[in-house]
Amino acid sequence: MQQIPDQMRQAADAPLDYAAAWKARTGRPVIGLLPMNFPGELAHAAGCLPTLLQEDDEPITIGQSNMFNFYCGYNRSIVDQTMRGRFDGLDAIMFGDHCVQLLGTADIIRAEKPDLPILFNQLCTVLDAGWAMRETRGTFSQIWKELEALTGEAIDPAAAAQSIRLFNRNRAQIRALYDLRRRGEVSISGRDMQAVVKSSMVMDKDEHVSLMDLLLRDMPRQAPGSGDLPIYLSGHMCHAPKPEIIDLIEECGIRIVNDDLFTGWRFVHADMDESLAPVEAMASWYIEKNRSLPCPTRAIKGKDWQDYLLVELENSGALGLVVLMVKFCEPHMYFYPEIKAAFDEKAIPHLLIETEHEQMPLEALKTRVETFAEIVRRRATALAA
Amino acid sequence: METVSEMPNSKIISAGGPKANKLKSTKFGGKLVSEYWESVFRAKEAGKKVVWYNGTYIPPFFHAHDLVWVHGEAWAAMLAARHREIGAQARGEQYGYDRELCSYARTHIGQMLIELDRVRSGDHGMDPDDPRLETMLKLPAPDMIVNAYPYCSSGQQWDDITYRNFGKKVPMFTIQIPLLWGGRPDAGYMQGEEWEQRSKYVAEQLLELTRFLAEHTGRKYDYDRLGETMTYVKKAAELRLEAMDMCQVHPSPASFFDWIVSIAPVNFLPGDQNLVTYFEGVKAEIAERVKAGQGAVPNEKYRLFFDGMMNWNKVGWLAEKFAAVDACVVAGRYTHMSFWQEPQLIDLGDPILGMAQNYLICPNNHGAPIMIGEIEKLCDKFDIDGVVCHASRTCRGMTNSQFLIADSAKKYGRQSMFFEGDVADESFYKDELLNIRLEAMIESMDAKRRAA
Ligand code: SF4
Ligand code: SF4
Repeated sequence: MQQIPDQMRQAADAPLDYAAAWKARTGRPVIGLLPMNFPGELAHAAGCLPTLLQEDDEPITIGQSNMFNFYCGYNRSIVDQTMRGRFDGLDAIMFGDHCVQLLGTADIIRAEKPDLPILFNQLCTVLDAGWAMRETRGTFSQIWKELEALTGEAIDPAAAAQSIRLFNRNRAQIRALYDLRRRGEVSISGRDMQAVVKSSMVMDKDEHVSLMDLLLRDMPRQAPGSGDLPIYLSGHMCHAPKPEIIDLIEECGIRIVNDDLFTGWRFVHADMDESLAPVEAMASWYIEKNRSLPCPTRAIKGKDWQDYLLVELENSGALGLVVLMVKFCEPHMYFYPEIKAAFDEKAIPHLLIETEHEQMPLEALKTRVETFAEIVRRRATALAA
Repeated sequence: METVSEMPNSKIISAGGPKANKLKSTKFGGKLVSEYWESVFRAKEAGKKVVWYNGTYIPPFFHAHDLVWVHGEAWAAMLAARHREIGAQARGEQYGYDRELCSYARTHIGQMLIELDRVRSGDHGMDPDDPRLETMLKLPAPDMIVNAYPYCSSGQQWDDITYRNFGKKVPMFTIQIPLLWGGRPDAGYMQGEEWEQRSKYVAEQLLELTRFLAEHTGRKYDYDRLGETMTYVKKAAELRLEAMDMCQVHPSPASFFDWIVSIAPVNFLPGDQNLVTYFEGVKAEIAERVKAGQGAVPNEKYRLFFDGMMNWNKVGWLAEKFAAVDACVVAGRYTHMSFWQEPQLIDLGDPILGMAQNYLICPNNHGAPIMIGEIEKLCDKFDIDGVVCHASRTCRGMTNSQFLIADSAKKYGRQSMFFEGDVADESFYKDELLNIRLEAMIESMDAKRRAA
């Protein structure tokens, strides 16, 4: 069974190599997507491979000549990869997000790679505005047109509907795995779970769906219950945390029962409505998904992230919260104090880990996680008494 | 409103007394700004509703509806310029706001937290001699919050936090001013399909804003009054641009720092005769200086362009720093590419579309190629020798394209340098680095001249 996560990991660890092989095999274009809100469905319907651009493990070197070191590691890595020619195999980049750092990155890519088309159309960031649906529909229609111009082929609405169905299926598969993990019926490491989601961001969808079928079928089931401490993992916008950090958390006797990570539940939690016309389905997916799981890069009045987390902790039986915050991630920095205050008020243990692209002092971190685990353990004992 | 602080280790600043020949006429602006804040502090007594807002220069919408407005950035900048920001930032940090977060926002939110503490406890709990008290106790709480921040996501999130800190009870209206990416084939400065679409989109939201204001005041919105307010704003904007144009002469009669001081009037003061009078005064003084051949830096040898957000704790300090090496910072992105930069777009009979377009052309809000093209035009126009980039640590909105800007400067034969500082957090400012880099740039400019 371990073979499947390993196969997924291969694609997840070297997504651009995977894309190059796919391109060589199919002769079709590869489109890089920037996070966090741009659907791959449309690029897929246009016969392209959508690949969500990932941070890589290389140290930032030449990228430093184009971006300050007070930008988040994801942006610095994307700029560095651009300058190292890692994106030369892409046929275009598509995005529509709002994070100010990402906007800067897009401009640097444009300056470095003037021949690489960047299809940028900013999504409406005010989700509860009266005009949000109309604007979002307009944005996706515009992208539709631009993709057609890029590939020189019309996108058949029936193909778009088919892509939506396929992507929905893939998300549902991953959610099923999340359910099994939450119920404790399967044992899957945090590292493997990351490989599952990350590979779904970069692999050919049909291939990923087939692998997920196998994984869900063959994964050994176990009786719920484990001695490890159940905790919830939150945050980490735009890219995956380093697997070593997840390993370290688990090595301290902690079991991750659920998460809202971008490379996690945030990426798969919402489906597109298959009964709607494709553009309509994408627009409502975009608006609704950020309402059901609040995103710090969008403005909404209704729901708060901390309220979401409190409910989710309860639902998943987690006894504590670990927040992974990307260093210099402004959207997260704005909202974290409210999460902290809400968890303090309810006396639920929580731990903030700031992650960096560069090497992190894991020994010191381990001591902090162990202390946190001890606090959670005491809470578990108190609750059991 | 700013003063030159003591900084004992500076090499450049100690080379003789103050050299920056500041415009005298801007003093009137100081008076207007003080009066404006006084009117803000008196708002509740005067029975006026108060709007807190962030972002672009939308006060004419509030002025026309007889509201009092508080610009979060101006408040933070004012605290920083008066060296009163530290307490606010400390309160923000105590609540959990990381110091890498936009310091404008941190200052404003921190101040808000201090005030909320006071309201909650019914007592400010501070020493009566605490100098922070004076400003802290006065700012009226908002009746409405409006956000209209071009380009920068931090600017939008900032008001989300304000809204939350006031218990999600204060009505809030957010205007999206989307980036003009400039990727379509017909894109250009103020042209192309994207420009047309985005202009209409922002104009529609502004119209919606007037409905929001009417709804939350129970009063009909007076569009004629908006036109009237804009008459003054448009006139003032034209005068400002004419006066800026006069700085093409050598030596430049005014500097970037004079224009920095002039931002408050054009950015958030009421659109009335005082605004026009202010810029008439500035223009008249500049005209006199042109006639007399008098420069903002008496022995102007180098002409510089300032890129980046202002370092509000250091306005006077930096003015002296550059003047001390006979460098006149003549123009800047912040001052010369914003604040009603294209007044001819405003149709006084129906001003909303033109206002939307002026908001859209905030310099950050263009994709880099168009924005840098405009910077180059300014550098040519003002005969600039070098570009100084203020790498403002917590303001990614303005640092985003700075490496590209520096590259472009070099491409056109201009020197460029970076210095490290911040919009409102003094702890990020590195004086020694600025000294060294400025000296190096001056040497390069000299070498280039010798070679020519
Ligand atoms: S949202 Fe955060 S992690 Fe994502 S690009 Fe912006 S700063 Fe980086
Ligand atoms: S980061 Fe800069 S542009 Fe963004 S809100 Fe702060 S001061 Fe404004």
